Amino acid sequence: MSHSLAVCQSQPIVSLTDVCLQFGDFAALTKVDFEIFPGQTLALLGHNGAGKSSLIKLILGLYQPTRGQINIADKKQLNLGYLPEDVSFYDKLTGKEVLSYFAALKQVNPSKVNQLIEEFELGYAQHRPLKTYSKGMKQRLGVAQAILSEPQVLLLDEPTVGLDPQASQFLYKKIDQLKHQGCAVVVCTHELAMIEQHLDRAFLMAKGHKLASGTLSELRKLSGLNTHITMTAIEQRIKGDRYLQSLCRDNALEVGTNQRDEMIKYLVATKNITDFNVLEPSLMDVYRYFMRQVFELETSAATVQPSRTDTPLFQQLLRYFKPQVGKGHYE
Amino acid sequence: MNSRISTSPIVIVANKELRDSLRNRWVLFMGSLFLLLSLSITFAGSAVRGEFVLPALTQLMSNLSTVSVFIIPLAAILLSYDSFIGEQESGTLLLLLTYPISRTQILIGKLIGHSVVMMITISCSFGLTAILLYFVSGKYDAIELLNAFVVFITSSYLLAAYFIVLGYIVSLSVTEKAKAVAGLLFLWFLFVLVYDLLFLAILVADFSFVGERVTHVLIALNPTDLYRAINVINLDDTNASVFFVNDVTLNKGVMYLVTAAWVGCLTAVSLKIFKYKH
Repeated sequence: MSHSLAVCQSQPIVSLTDVCLQFGDFAALTKVDFEIFPGQTLALLGHNGAGKSSLIKLILGLYQPTRGQINIADKKQLNLGYLPEDVSFYDKLTGKEVLSYFAALKQVNPSKVNQLIEEFELGYAQHRPLKTYSKGMKQRLGVAQAILSEPQVLLLDEPTVGLDPQASQFLYKKIDQLKHQGCAVVVCTHELAMIEQHLDRAFLMAKGHKLASGTLSELRKLSGLNTHITMTAIEQRIKGDRYLQSLCRDNALEVGTNQRDEMIKYLVATKNITDFNVLEPSLMDVYRYFMRQVFELETSAATVQPSRTDTPLFQQLLRYFKPQVGKGHYE
Repeated sequence: MNSRISTSPIVIVANKELRDSLRNRWVLFMGSLFLLLSLSITFAGSAVRGEFVLPALTQLMSNLSTVSVFIIPLAAILLSYDSFIGEQESGTLLLLLTYPISRTQILIGKLIGHSVVMMITISCSFGLTAILLYFVSGKYDAIELLNAFVVFITSSYLLAAYFIVLGYIVSLSVTEKAKAVAGLLFLWFLFVLVYDLLFLAILVADFSFVGERVTHVLIALNPTDLYRAINVINLDDTNASVFFVNDVTLNKGVMYLVTAAWVGCLTAVSLKIFKYKH
């Protein structure tokens, strides 16, 4: 990989501004702002039909935006790598033939094919037809295909779907390596627990709109979800402290993500408690929160109020989704 | 990246299609079928009349073209029906479109690859028949035999190319492989059987409006009839399915050109469809 971490990570390599994509009456994307930074892994999240694939196809240049702008850093031809969802390649050809075919189309040196076959541990099966490959082997070949030309941006659509944990771990290890070499990686996935360990930023979508984006901690703050602090014999240890008792639910202290650091300092300073566990909202919790807000807006009649109507997020969601109440569903 | 590799994307795609067809033994299977049919017609065609003699060259070419006009389009359809819908279903078409290769290059590459596959199949099977016929019989003049088979094989390429591109159009227009097969079988039935029967019926009915010009237009409108005409024109044959061409004064070169023009037109149509395909 030719790119290094020295690449300025504060400059987006691709940015979409106010992008709309319309197919007849159907709005696939509406006023989406999106940025990809070099040396970062971005998780593209959303329900089925949220517009993730449309967004990827826009970046790939397969669609042209109906409105808005797509800007590429350096104004040069962007070197992209892509792995479509559930791609099955050519069953009759061998692994090496398939990789050589795509390498030839990208005018990549054949030695790169051999190197990637070894790197992705496919050497023992390189002369076998693809119909004899397992799902994990095909996905490894798919990722190898995507990074043939040492891309600046790597777009992976559901790269780990149907893979066993070991195979998924292998792919994410490779993704991390590429990221550290300066590649901007976009992973579109529903396997949130898996990607949580590897993402730098997440981009949440629903019904063609951007819901939120940022680092996981930024999204936690935006959601307002609580952090749970657990410890042994909690009731005895906070006895007499009415402030801590007011925060205690289900044998854990519930504090807002913003107050977490203060609470830890307080526990250490005033109670001399250091053996506690901090359970922050997971990516799944954050995702569910955002999707629930959308769902509540969609299903609620004027008389039924969603749970948190006072937050800026709710107001933002209201602006996006209120006109479409009653349409669509979320999984 | 390596700058020394600069093979055209068209050649790369064509090579892949050829390799794919060789790998799945399509060429071997179709070639064997063509060979079996041509040998049967050539050496055992007279058996139905209770005798075992080699036919006259004109009779032989007429017999061969009568059978191959059914089997060559069918083979071409089988080769091309999933060219695009198959790649779409497997996700590789979407992937290819993200590569530095244009849609025109993909389609032309496939067309060249599939045409080469058909050329190999047709040349090997019918070419071998001609060679066997020459050496086994010793009855035919070498030049006449060569001339007849060159016409036959060349027109067979064109007929195959026409149905390959027809396969692309259907493959690009449907959403499932099964629909592509059904659609193409319908078109095969229409072009190879129905059109020919209707054409013969019109000729036999001897309508007043059917003059030479109308006959020419009706032949030119269907490449399978052009194929029949190219192969049996000027032949002294009374076969019911071909007798109409005795009155045809179309030049063979013109008929080749018209068939090639059909291939060109359909290629342009398939490119147009591919260009607007999401």
